[in-house]
Amino acid sequence: MGVFNRIFVRRFFVENIGFFLILFYFLFGMVNASNLLYYHMGLMEGFLTGNSFLTLVLVLWLLYNFKCIGFVIKTLQLPQYSFLYDTMTCMVARERKTLWWRLHFRMYLPVFIYGGIAAVLGICKQYFVPAAIILVFNMAMCIWPVWLYEKKLWQPDVFFFATRFSRWLNKLFIKPPVLYFYYELFTAFPRKIFTTKIWSAAVLWLTFFLMGQSDFYDVRALQLGMIVSVLLHTQLMIHHRAFDEIYLPFMQNLPMSTWRHYSRVVGIYALMLAPEAIMLFFQSAGQFTLFPLFTCIVTGISMLILFRVLLYFPRMNAEVHLRWILVISFVMLFMILGDVTWWAILGLHVLAAGIFFRKFWAYEPWLESE
Amino acid sequence: MQSVSKSYQDFQVLDIPQLDLSTGIYWLKGENGAGKTTTMKVLAGVLPFRGNITLNGHVNSRQQPVQYRRLINYAEAEPLYPAYLTGRDLLELYFRTKGGDRQPVLEMSAKMGVDNFVNNPVSSYSSGMLKKLSLLLAFVGKPAVILLDEPLITIDAKTVAQLYDFIREVHAEGVSFIITSHQPLDSGRLSIAGTLTIENKNLILN
Repeated sequence: MGVFNRIFVRRFFVENIGFFLILFYFLFGMVNASNLLYYHMGLMEGFLTGNSFLTLVLVLWLLYNFKCIGFVIKTLQLPQYSFLYDTMTCMVARERKTLWWRLHFRMYLPVFIYGGIAAVLGICKQYFVPAAIILVFNMAMCIWPVWLYEKKLWQPDVFFFATRFSRWLNKLFIKPPVLYFYYELFTAFPRKIFTTKIWSAAVLWLTFFLMGQSDFYDVRALQLGMIVSVLLHTQLMIHHRAFDEIYLPFMQNLPMSTWRHYSRVVGIYALMLAPEAIMLFFQSAGQFTLFPLFTCIVTGISMLILFRVLLYFPRMNAEVHLRWILVISFVMLFMILGDVTWWAILGLHVLAAGIFFRKFWAYEPWLESE
Repeated sequence: MQSVSKSYQDFQVLDIPQLDLSTGIYWLKGENGAGKTTTMKVLAGVLPFRGNITLNGHVNSRQQPVQYRRLINYAEAEPLYPAYLTGRDLLELYFRTKGGDRQPVLEMSAKMGVDNFVNNPVSSYSSGMLKKLSLLLAFVGKPAVILLDEPLITIDAKTVAQLYDFIREVHAEGVSFIITSHQPLDSGRLSIAGTLTIENKNLILN
């Protein structure tokens, strides 16, 4: 069981960390911590009492189930897992089906737990029919994929709909260069982006918590939280530089102006703080007006851009980079405390653009000698 | 090319005082490590260098970097793209930036069989499929020069024949080619204007 668990279940959760991260933000990050329990109880009561809402929830759970199924089928199609056909087909049918069921159940577990809690709440509140629908639906979702896995195992050449779906999606959507690094992060370094975002969310949550405890809501305290959050993101920049060096040299042959290359960097780091911007908006709960929140986010983005651009100095290794980051962060902090935040932001942008325009075309990876 | 030099840190690889090339197909020869790929990358604007390169007599690589890159296309010997991009993502990016007429490239894509896998991520491509895509991208836009680094490796015999046809057709429209290849280029299929060799870091036209 252990080896199958590693091949299917563990890989499923590791490779989909980005997906679970986004889900986590939507379900927990956007809600004030003190209202979280009531929010989810309200949500559950909503779909327990409304037929159309319940249908929508069941469709979403079905889509998640398709995701689990797609992952198993795709794994079976990978050449390195072709040994599964030789081994699993030798197992006793009953034992193999039980194994499929257990593997699938583990992948479907997050929905099963949420659905189970909703069903228990439904029974307590005497919404017996929707509670029964939820229970039966979730049990069915755990059982029917076994039939599909068995079919795939005995007919490996069966064309799976996910391939057709992904091809259709690829036809429909052209990936813009600003998203290339995100695809790289979510596919090659999902754990890194997941932990960065979790810690960043935790820092901002703690900032709000401390401000709430002292009942002292000051934008400068929020800016301090943002600076710490930015510092947590800087570990991704070395990956970004390596990614650009390895995979994107072909873009230097494209007739794109330096401004266009620079706006791609700005876009990448503006998007990077989008979850934090959403979180600030919902966590502030009327304590701040939009302008200080905007200032805070712009500060974060500007710092990230400058920190990334610093890496266009070829000899800037991780250690030297960190030193510069800390120095700039201290200067920023004092400028924020001195109420000259927008001047500081302006300075960051002038510096970042200056370095980028001077260094971008001249940049080459530096080979460290012993 | 005027006073073009290229160094990797302290190690000089290229030192070309002056080289003028007229329209034509050139075969760039040299031993392993002679600097063929570096020359190609310098010409393509992918690597920084000292000196000046001018195309069509007036488009300078430093003074008009965008216009310069519109006139020079490059297919790498061993192309590498982010795994999750599809051939179509790359084609659209090239169409959007390089401009030009889509139709001939799409026809070329159909002939080479690239349209069969263009919607799949490049991670699922074999080395031959990736090479075909990279060669196809080199024909996008309205280039004056196309640089093909080892275009004959990893592709099948049918595609090699098609590539010779494409080069001939596009050259007939006034496009120059610089091709590196360890295998001799078929002089029966292509009329070679000259051979370029790298000797003592200098690029010499024979």
